[in-house]
Amino acid sequence: MEIRREQLKIDLEKCTACHRCTLACAMKHHGSIDPRLSRIKILEFREQGLNMPVVCMACADAPCMNVCPMNARKRTANGSVVTDDEVCIGCRACVYICPVASPAENPYTGRTMTCDMCEDDESGPWCVKACGSQGALTVCRNDTLVTEAARRQALRFKRMCF
Amino acid sequence: MKIVIIGNGIAGNQVAFTLRGQRPDLHICIISAEGVPEYDPCSLPYFLGGEAEKKDIFRKTPEDYIRHNIELVLNNRVVSIDPEAGTVTTDKGLEIGYDKLVLAHGGSLFIPPIEGINNPGVFSCKQLSETEKLHAHKGSRAVVIGSGAIGIEVAEALKKKGYEVYVIEVLNWILPALFDEPTGQRLGEALREYGIHVCTGEKVLRIKGAHGVTGVTTDKREIDCDTVVVATGVVPGTALAKTAGIETSRGIQVNLRMETSVPGIYACGDCVETIDACTGETAMFQLKHNAIEQGRIVAENILGKDKNYQGAHAFARAHFFSTHAATFGKTIRGTECLLGKTEVIEKENGKNYLRVILLDGRVIGGQAIGKYADIIGLLISAMWKKEDINLMKHNWKTLSRTRNPGKFPMIRLGHIFGFGV
Repeated sequence: MEIRREQLKIDLEKCTACHRCTLACAMKHHGSIDPRLSRIKILEFREQGLNMPVVCMACADAPCMNVCPMNARKRTANGSVVTDDEVCIGCRACVYICPVASPAENPYTGRTMTCDMCEDDESGPWCVKACGSQGALTVCRNDTLVTEAARRQALRFKRMCF
Repeated sequence: MKIVIIGNGIAGNQVAFTLRGQRPDLHICIISAEGVPEYDPCSLPYFLGGEAEKKDIFRKTPEDYIRHNIELVLNNRVVSIDPEAGTVTTDKGLEIGYDKLVLAHGGSLFIPPIEGINNPGVFSCKQLSETEKLHAHKGSRAVVIGSGAIGIEVAEALKKKGYEVYVIEVLNWILPALFDEPTGQRLGEALREYGIHVCTGEKVLRIKGAHGVTGVTTDKREIDCDTVVVATGVVPGTALAKTAGIETSRGIQVNLRMETSVPGIYACGDCVETIDACTGETAMFQLKHNAIEQGRIVAENILGKDKNYQGAHAFARAHFFSTHAATFGKTIRGTECLLGKTEVIEKENGKNYLRVILLDGRVIGGQAIGKYADIIGLLISAMWKKEDINLMKHNWKTLSRTRNPGKFPMIRLGHIFGFGV
């Protein structure tokens, strides 16, 4: 299994659904602030007070790469899985198979799009910058996300037992 | 060690390139009955309809094989296998020796026994050469026999090319293997709205015409047409396996390591009969994602890693014009022989329709049209996790307040099912 080199760490407790990341994402990739063009979506469950950012997880064994009839889903050098716009025909197979339902359909072209971690910008993903001091989105490099998750889990376990 | 792979399809290439990725020293040879590098049969209807260019349907270029040092024997159909001597013989008289053999020759199109089926105006859309013939054919009225996934995609492609299209299905709804009747009826209605004539519960009796098709006779009507496309399903190619004395039933029989009854011969792709990942019964899902997974397992086992195959699952989508539908797992028809209590959850909202099939509370299949199709992936993950939906409903109050990210897909699903209200 290959560990993704860059991952977005999402802290739900800190997300207020201000949608700055959505606007930044649409701005970065399409040059407009149309939220439908964003690759990160925020689901709001008001009654539970839960805001859930949904973004492509770039699964190690990505099912979307297997089901795409045009083989348009490709893994890039930084580990993200992106849709090749030249080849995609908008059949939405990747949307259906996705276990987190993350690929979004571009309403103008009908083709799907997912997070590429803004790989062509050396200063990092725009959504993270837009989130800023809120800190709901941060970038984890190499396997730090896994280590952090393990540490957090260990802390919870310790609090529970001792 | 020399690995010979029969078939240059998705499964065969997956085996070859997985092996090459891990072992640069192996001698890998692919024997193909066709004369082109690996292409994707799923994209052929899109090539036919003009949505994709010909270069986009290929998954590999001839240079890829040279660069990865994979020997390619094209235009040679393997006719017999001799496991004692360890050789295969092709129709051109070529004899190739092997240490390990992989059968990945897939299936062939099922040709229904209809009068006039060999008419030159009858086409199919399973192989590139056949599709190119249909692409070059000039006609105005087409009859598509069979309404499987290929049949519907071909009907859409021909409609886009300006044909008057008839789809003829012997069962009472379209896409009968993938969708249940309520979903199939809705999709049939949608197809009719786009101007395609859908004739269900009808049987083709005769294809008329001597040098080219002039019409089709069914048990209900006469249709004038100049093109017929056969899309009646794929039968696994078991004849070749029988020459080696390999056990076959509907498809080639394999064990969990994808090895056939003859040691040293593996099989993967459309030609094998495998188990259903969800229910464990014998099943055949001739779909691309299963072929890729099986190819990987074969490659690992050839390298001696002893990996077990987890089973195949159905996942397909029906996409025509602006209607989007998806299906996975079992249909209610497929659960008739299963023990346990089956339930169906249905949700309808205008043109959007969701149908989830539960066995003892667990998701084992689902179908969706429109908006609901976008979240069908959550149901697929619920199927893999074997989540009990009734238990989820019971625990909804505590579940919905959890902050465990692993439960979030289930929370979204709960909201869609309406447990929150």
